Amino acid sequence: MRRIEARDADALGELYDQHGSRLLGLAQRILGAGGEAEEIVQEVFLYVWRAAASFDPARGSVLTWLLIVTRSRAIDRLRARRPAASGGAPVRSLEELGEGPASGDDVEADSAGRQWRSLCLAAIGQLPEDQRRALELAYFEGLTQEEIAAKTSTPLGTVKTRVRLGLMKLRERMRPYWESGSHGS
Amino acid sequence: MAHSERHEDLVAALAAGMELSSAERLELEAHLGEGCARCEALRRDLERAASSLAAQAPAVAPPPELRRRILESLGPARVAPSPARGLHAGIWRILAAAAALSAVIVAVDDARLRRDREDLQSQSAQLAGRLQSAETELAQRALRARVLESDDVRMLILGGQGPQPNAKGRVFWSARARRGVLVAGNLAPLPSDRQYELWVFQKGKPVAAGVFDADSEGRAAFESTDFPEAEAQNFAVTVEPRGGVPAPTGPIVLVGSPT
Repeated sequence: MRRIEARDADALGELYDQHGSRLLGLAQRILGAGGEAEEIVQEVFLYVWRAAASFDPARGSVLTWLLIVTRSRAIDRLRARRPAASGGAPVRSLEELGEGPASGDDVEADSAGRQWRSLCLAAIGQLPEDQRRALELAYFEGLTQEEIAAKTSTPLGTVKTRVRLGLMKLRERMRPYWESGSHGS
Repeated sequence: MAHSERHEDLVAALAAGMELSSAERLELEAHLGEGCARCEALRRDLERAASSLAAQAPAVAPPPELRRRILESLGPARVAPSPARGLHAGIWRILAAAAALSAVIVAVDDARLRRDREDLQSQSAQLAGRLQSAETELAQRALRARVLESDDVRMLILGGQGPQPNAKGRVFWSARARRGVLVAGNLAPLPSDRQYELWVFQKGKPVAAGVFDADSEGRAAFESTDFPEAEAQNFAVTVEPRGGVPAPTGPIVLVGSPT
């Protein structure tokens, strides 16, 4: 990131090579395949180019930062598609999105990426179903707490608790990996 | 206010990328503004945990031209003159907490911002036609130019809230020029004893940044000449008694987060 801050375009290219496919995958998961997802990735790297000085390694890894920026912009676009005050009807059904990894090519850039991914999936797989579902609705579909409560027919307070406990469980499962100093999230 | 489980719920909701209500957001900003080490640590951890969810989205090989497009659009390899420390704290706090993950601070000079500048300039030109005095027009155009042409200009998209969910707006501001411009639309007409007031959030607290009216078509282009100097973390517009008040009392109609 320091090299990017110093206007080393090759460094940005390397960052793209390392994480671009993951960010595109995330944008597509949220928005669907198509030009918008690619636009998001382009915007994110331009943002990184300009805002590299603001990256603070104490707050998390570069990958975390990239994922946060990507997800945020993709959700902005997703919301822009929804009619105003619609109550947040999701634009895509879960069936359309297709859960689980795509069969076929493994486009993970490197083994560290594969390791990160399999650890995350294992941690997510160990969550209670209702916590995982609440988190997916929030993270991938940008639903508010109220919208999740309505969609899952659960009380608002229960949704808040599920989100908090779910994230805390993920934290506990991932913490050894984070502390081992491996690159990636 | 003391740390409680309620704050942890709010931090978790933000980390999961969910929007907070205006009241919840202000409450959390106030709490974080006072400095809560537990919440800061929790926020970092839960953001990182939430990002693990992204692993469920399989990586997708981008088309080869995307890499080229990105590198070509970087522009001249100049060092952006930004107050690095302030920018770092400001952007991270906005990204992570103060404005919820859905607010986007843009500090780039890319094609989109150029388009926005052009839109703003043409909107400004239209609205300038309605101003009462030529002197005011000239002064306001000069102010707009000073903000928009500053090389540290940043932008935040505001979303409609509460009584005006369809309101929309953008704030462009330059810390160096100490000026900000709000462009808004779909604002409701207000009773004659009320005005819209712009707030800038600094260190979790809203600072008054001026009052303005919407025109007959619900649009406003307002330059804040009271723009506070220190790092802006978020913006909001409320409805207040005409003339404005030193601290917000009325409903929030626009805030940094597109809903």
